[in-house]
Amino acid sequence: MNWSFFVTTMIVYTVTSTIACWGLDLQFGYTGVLNFSFIIFEAAGAYTASILTLGSPTAASNVAQQNYFFGANLPFPLPWLAAIVVGGLLGLLVGVIALRRLRGDYEAIVMLVVSLTASYLVISNIGFLNGSAGLALIPSPLQATVGLSTSGYTWFYAGVTALAGIVVYWVVRRITQSPLGRALRSVRENERAAEALGRDAVRLRLLVFAVGGGMGALAGAILVGFINAWSPGAWGFPETFTLFAAIIVGGQANMGGVALGAFLVPGLIFQGVLFLPQIGAPGFVDSLQWILSGVLILLFMWFRPAGVLPERRRRLSKLASRGGAAGSEA
Amino acid sequence: MTAKARKARSGEAYEDACEGDPSGYDAESYAGAILEMKDVCLAFGGVRAVVDVTFGVKRGTIAGLIGPNGAGKSSLLNVIAGALKQTSGVVLFEGRRVVGRSAHAMARLGITRTFQLSGEFGGLTVLENMLMGARRQRGESLMGALLGPRFWREEERTLVDRARRLLGECDLLAKEDDYARDLSGGQRRILEILRATMADPQVLLLDEPFAGVNKSTARRIEEYLRVLREKGMTMIMVEHELAFVDRLCDDVIVMAQGAVIGRGTMGDLRSSREIRQAYLAG
Repeated sequence: MNWSFFVTTMIVYTVTSTIACWGLDLQFGYTGVLNFSFIIFEAAGAYTASILTLGSPTAASNVAQQNYFFGANLPFPLPWLAAIVVGGLLGLLVGVIALRRLRGDYEAIVMLVVSLTASYLVISNIGFLNGSAGLALIPSPLQATVGLSTSGYTWFYAGVTALAGIVVYWVVRRITQSPLGRALRSVRENERAAEALGRDAVRLRLLVFAVGGGMGALAGAILVGFINAWSPGAWGFPETFTLFAAIIVGGQANMGGVALGAFLVPGLIFQGVLFLPQIGAPGFVDSLQWILSGVLILLFMWFRPAGVLPERRRRLSKLASRGGAAGSEA
Repeated sequence: MTAKARKARSGEAYEDACEGDPSGYDAESYAGAILEMKDVCLAFGGVRAVVDVTFGVKRGTIAGLIGPNGAGKSSLLNVIAGALKQTSGVVLFEGRRVVGRSAHAMARLGITRTFQLSGEFGGLTVLENMLMGARRQRGESLMGALLGPRFWREEERTLVDRARRLLGECDLLAKEDDYARDLSGGQRRILEILRATMADPQVLLLDEPFAGVNKSTARRIEEYLRVLREKGMTMIMVEHELAFVDRLCDDVIVMAQGAVIGRGTMGDLRSSREIRQAYLAG
């Protein structure tokens, strides 16, 4: 086994999954929105980064003669930034359609429909993003510039990915530890009460849809730069449940817990088992991923619904001035 | 029962009352009223929840809203709070029409409410619940949050100090870091009222604040509401326990079948045969 390739693959997959899970957790864990279409944001980011690095579809460099509606050859990190913007805008668009009036089960069903619709749209319009064949030969960012060996470059890419993870961690932590994070959790706990206290719940839900969508898109953009190909098979609706499994296992509304879940489920289970020798009937190892993921969700929902690392209690009393409770309001 | 209530019950008045053009309303303000309702109607399909309700509430008073179950009291409270949009009629707040505003917009204007079933944020601590009462916090915008604690921590500290003072007044300080879901029913009621006052509302809408609380907690809530009135806060209180209404409310409005059937002090209203009948019939 090529350990260098295994480790860098695990780093890139785990960090991108963690970024995506933090985005989904902002929506689900903090705000209580069941976004079963989350994977389309990752796909939007991957496709955006792809077409902005592949160049024009009519250029001579398109040796594979792939069909896509637009192409450019932008320098790094513009494709990643564009992916974030596209993910955010898509989040707003889906949010405006689904979040304004629908709640709970109905909202979840609409999200699932959005995910399926998006998938069929891409598959059926070959000229849009090359249909079910998807895009391939997507250039890796900065590979020509840094001039490293293949192994060296994968380590370099893993480092850049980790750096992006740190930036996303900083952004999410700033949001979740702030009064804005508290307002998001209030919407999760009791939307009517939050509204009665002057919080515009729809606006807050749209906000996490845009921010979470941007993060999902960034995860997709990073991943596609590593695997150099992207097709509808990579973002079927069950992929969203893998991310939900990570959050449920790790612990909702706990960034460390979600990162742990992303390591365990999309990382260790979904990528790790691919490195196992083939056992049992052909395709058994692939199926094992989904079986383990489903069993984990069931076990955790049953025995430990708060996850391995539950949401932390925020003790605001630490903030009080000395003698802060003295005196009287009346 | 008044003619209006009889008509409301039979449905005769509904067509007249609910199809008026609110845009033609000529504001006839009650002297000193902070909140006025004129011909307010609310219907859910064919069900008439509020019919032709007109009254005003004076600033710095507590108005009681009483009536049998299904009288439309909570529906009317929901209309005032912006949680439900009236079918027709006008609500004026400080002389301004506030028709069609959402609940969060009404709260920002200065009208805050509590709920019939406790509206605490169970997964937030007691102090966090209190801080949710404060509006327009620096760290609640995306930019404010990204700017970090240096941008919002001082304000947060001030709010925490204020929240702790309020909690201390009602013996809830020991629970400040507990999750709100772990409080007793009475403590949740108190928390909800305290949280609402963190917003310094001009009008506080209370939906059955004494429901399901023991005597000592009820006494504490009663005392606190008196304090708020002394500080000039206006309140509208839906309540079934008439002893509290008698002791607290300056003005009592009686509803039945969605319509106002009487108004006055509890003493006046008790002697009214129509109102006793409405309660028995309700």
